[in-house]
Amino acid sequence: MKRTGFLAVALVVALFWSLVPIYWFCRMAFLTPLEIQHYPWPLIPHAPNPAAFYNIFGFRYVLSGNLVSPASGQAAQIIRGLKDSFLVSLIVMVVTLAITLPLAYMFARMEFRYKNSLLFAILFAVALPPVSTLIPFYAMYVRLGLAGTLSGLVIVDLTLTVPFVTWMLIGYFRNLPPIERLAWMDGYGRLAAFVRLVLPLARSGVAVAAVIAFLFAWNEFTYALVLVNGTTANTLPTAVSGFLHQYPEPGNLAASVLITIVPPALVAYFLQRHVSEMNLVDPVR
Amino acid sequence: MARIELQQLHKTFGSLAAVQELGLEIAEGEFLVLLGPSGCGKTTTLNMIAGLEAPTSGRVLFDGRDVTKVLAYHRNVAMVFQSSLLYPHLSARRNIETSLRHSGLGRADRDRRIADVVRMLEIDPLLDKLPSQLSGGERQRVATAKAIVREPAAFLLDEPLSALDAALRLSLRSEIANLQKRLGTTTVLVTHDQIEAMTMGDRIAVMSNGRLEQIGTPDQIYNDPATLFVAGFLGAPPMNLIAGEVEAGCFRGIGFSLPVTAPTGPATLGVRPQDVRVVASEVQGALVARVFALEHLGRESVLIVEADKSTKLRVLVPPSFGARVGERLFLAADPERCLLFGAEGMRLPLHPAVPG
Repeated sequence: MKRTGFLAVALVVALFWSLVPIYWFCRMAFLTPLEIQHYPWPLIPHAPNPAAFYNIFGFRYVLSGNLVSPASGQAAQIIRGLKDSFLVSLIVMVVTLAITLPLAYMFARMEFRYKNSLLFAILFAVALPPVSTLIPFYAMYVRLGLAGTLSGLVIVDLTLTVPFVTWMLIGYFRNLPPIERLAWMDGYGRLAAFVRLVLPLARSGVAVAAVIAFLFAWNEFTYALVLVNGTTANTLPTAVSGFLHQYPEPGNLAASVLITIVPPALVAYFLQRHVSEMNLVDPVR
Repeated sequence: MARIELQQLHKTFGSLAAVQELGLEIAEGEFLVLLGPSGCGKTTTLNMIAGLEAPTSGRVLFDGRDVTKVLAYHRNVAMVFQSSLLYPHLSARRNIETSLRHSGLGRADRDRRIADVVRMLEIDPLLDKLPSQLSGGERQRVATAKAIVREPAAFLLDEPLSALDAALRLSLRSEIANLQKRLGTTTVLVTHDQIEAMTMGDRIAVMSNGRLEQIGTPDQIYNDPATLFVAGFLGAPPMNLIAGEVEAGCFRGIGFSLPVTAPTGPATLGVRPQDVRVVASEVQGALVARVFALEHLGRESVLIVEADKSTKLRVLVPPSFGARVGERLFLAADPERCLLFGAEGMRLPLHPAVPG
């Protein structure tokens, strides 16, 4: 009895913690600036309008009473940010997988010289606070002409996703049953066994690694702010942060935040099955 | 079918010598069991026969041909791994099919072979299930089918029964032995279970610490052990081993002596529980001991006695035998059935053959 009581309290706190900010942004996104300023604030918009979603993509919206909600000054940044964020995140995801899957598999299944030192190097890369490499990267990028480019951003994102995802996948691969031995007996080579048999078996791990890399690149803010913001390359988080420097447009800000949340939320929703599978199926059989 | 020879096989992992100076020959169609405690190098040996691990030195020969550098698949051997390992994400049918993937056989031939093993092992209803949906025994069957379907030159079985419960082990034991005899395929089975080894093997190779202790028929291994290790490892209840010394043509240990003709020095006397009798009174060389426990096994009982604080001996007695704990008893061993082992654990002859 007592336990379920605690559980209920914890559940309410967790729901409150995670849902209230989203609710608040939803509410703001569907209100006009005038309604937002109104006191007491309406808890639910009584005449929700999608004006902000038009505005942030550069369209005017005519409200009832012939009021015009003009296009946002950030619109160009938001559109570019959306495009660039998708591009960067997808590339980071694909490259991260291409590097980490074979790398982690080797660490998990093969013996070679300096293996432990190399493992430590990976762990060290995970442990390093990302901000500490910000200035060196910036200085280097200016010289190399990579500042303000998407490829520069992809490279920086990879320096963070690769060690982290590798570390995560090593443990996962270690727990897979030793089917490569079966595969060798069946006439597969090392590479063929990995590609045709181990990877399909490890699809949960691959999916989770992909999600982590994608979300990481999608949400990355600090590097993007310093390395590419204000240039023609731009990601969504920095585009949204641009609202800070404008005439206040809380409705547009809220709408931008919501569209920023949607892709990761979808990704997480569709792949959560794999995340849970990764823990449940301890495949030692 | 193949004749397999191992010559001077060594395998080291870092500084650990897993297999040392291993040489043995497996005849065509023979069922050889590699028996030993865990970590004795038996699985490493099997992996070297399979081609999954390369020996540090030495050679593996199939039918006289050196295959030491030949890849696992091209040795044409099939292996059943520990816990009947299968591809977890493939159905039983796909698992079996994978064995023939690189065989170069046509579709019709493959289907015929698969149909044959399916019928032989009666696994038809299991074919569309995933390994996780199969019971331990069913998985074992599917893994066996996957091995047989290749019609390999040799079967290698790595503790195929160890993950199963006792009743299932009992029935699958005879099934594997029966199948092996029907197919007549050279088979090497690795186990740490002496009963599995005794019941299934044509010959048993006992290993310990990476070395071959003895190879022989179950009968030879049991009745004529070459080393102290083999004597102690096989037999349930285990052989009684009495530490002592040979002096002036007589073995002496814990208030007990036996005339032998062996060189003077420390030695161990071994005698199986069935070769010790409880005698009425103090006869020449009898051993005085106190009853420690009496275990009823149904068909017989095991009497455990304490000869001194550190030495417990086991004696097989008829089920009608009664004894109180603490009671004093006299024991006599059949001198013809006693085995003597020297300080290094090597067997010594009790009575060296007199020339002429």
